[in-house]
Amino acid sequence: MVEVTITVNGTSYTRKIHPLMRLLDFLRDELKLKGTKEGCGEGECGACTVIMDGRTINSCLVLAASCDGKEIITIEGVGGAELHPIQRAFLEVGAVQCGYCIPGMVLSTKALLDKNLDATEEEIKEAISGNLCRCTGYQKIVEGVKLAQTKMKESRGEACECGRS
Amino acid sequence: MKKRGVGYGAFFYGTGYGNGFPDESRAVIEITSSGRFNLYVGVSDVGSGGISVMQQIAQETLKTDGELINIIWNDTSLVLDTGTAAASRQTYNTGNAVKIACEKMRDRINEVIGEKELKTKEDVNEIYNLFLDKNIETRFEGYFKATTSQVNLETGQGNPYWPYTFGIEKAVVEVDTETGKVDVLEIVAAYDAGKIVNPAQAEGQIIGGASMGIGYAIMEEVIVNKGSIKNRSFSDYIIPTSMDMPKVTTYFVEKNEPTGPYGAKGLGEPAMLPTAPAILNAIYNAVGIRLTEFPATCERVLAAIKEKEQRDQEKRDNI
Repeated sequence: MVEVTITVNGTSYTRKIHPLMRLLDFLRDELKLKGTKEGCGEGECGACTVIMDGRTINSCLVLAASCDGKEIITIEGVGGAELHPIQRAFLEVGAVQCGYCIPGMVLSTKALLDKNLDATEEEIKEAISGNLCRCTGYQKIVEGVKLAQTKMKESRGEACECGRS
Repeated sequence: MKKRGVGYGAFFYGTGYGNGFPDESRAVIEITSSGRFNLYVGVSDVGSGGISVMQQIAQETLKTDGELINIIWNDTSLVLDTGTAAASRQTYNTGNAVKIACEKMRDRINEVIGEKELKTKEDVNEIYNLFLDKNIETRFEGYFKATTSQVNLETGQGNPYWPYTFGIEKAVVEVDTETGKVDVLEIVAAYDAGKIVNPAQAEGQIIGGASMGIGYAIMEEVIVNKGSIKNRSFSDYIIPTSMDMPKVTTYFVEKNEPTGPYGAKGLGEPAMLPTAPAILNAIYNAVGIRLTEFPATCERVLAAIKEKEQRDQEKRDNI
């Protein structure tokens, strides 16, 4: 057993875990954060995507023991008391069908828009290309990301009171 | 050289179990003391949007707000048998059962207060109390069975499916004649699935179907060797990603289906039918090769182009 301290959604957790435990299992089984999904378990489908220190990773491919001192954001940490603009945008355009890929989609979107709020359609498509979706054909998800850009720009404008051009 | 082509695929598809197999749906609507309706329905919604559709049909029939309808679904200790979420049958079949149940309820509501809309919990609660006073049932069941009959194999007569959904798709492709790679550049889809109950969800079904159709046409192949599937992971069984999807434009021809709930028909399975044929026709239009085997991988396309070139050469030599 090894001891790790991992910050998940702003809270620091210290646990003694098996050295071969995957980050995915740490989140789902140790912390009971079931929003992160397991799809293929081999880093192809992106259902288990989480954000580690600002970058998306497949949590099925990362050992929890290697995450000591790292900061993780899961789908549970994206919104607060209210839904995040990305989540609201996804709902508004109808981007969610069965929903299994959506936690990963939202996190890939967040990682992109946190870095580049002006991402083009091509950049959006590339950013979510590691997240497979069998239901939607992606089009409404891309529309959702674009709507989220508008929403986030609006709320950023309000926050700094700089107004919109 | 990259060559572009346009192709079309059209279909008609019988929804429901068909061929006389009992195709039945049941639903129950209940008015409660909490100022809301309970709709009990056995629709399994795996992303196909059945729950929203049932709520919309109930809301329309009861002349109330969707917020005032609780949906209790899928718990088999509470709901009646609605049949499977299969055969593209839920909107049509179960939608009819929901409509029939809600019509029974609304008929009794009309008897006590007339045609008035029920906009608030208080409105619904008032009806509930009136029902209790007048000793009216608070639960109504709807039952619907699709009218199909077994086909007589000797005469070919019968009514194997009812109703049918129709559609056509256009595909624009670009074929690289040096590598055999096919890119799908555009899909345009036009469907007659009757009155569309939920346009956003219906579009989602069509675009999702197109993505499965693109996978079917140019990527997805199950390789079986001595009964064992050889490509069992997403690294060798390739499905479309966001980068593979072209723009899909969707049109609905909302022809009223007289037997459907508010004129609606099924859409689930039909959504992926015309895409792959349209793509193969577009490949033919682009480079003149007729593929009869899916998927149109680089290897198959290239081999067919080479074969065609050889044939064309032989023709020229013979002249």
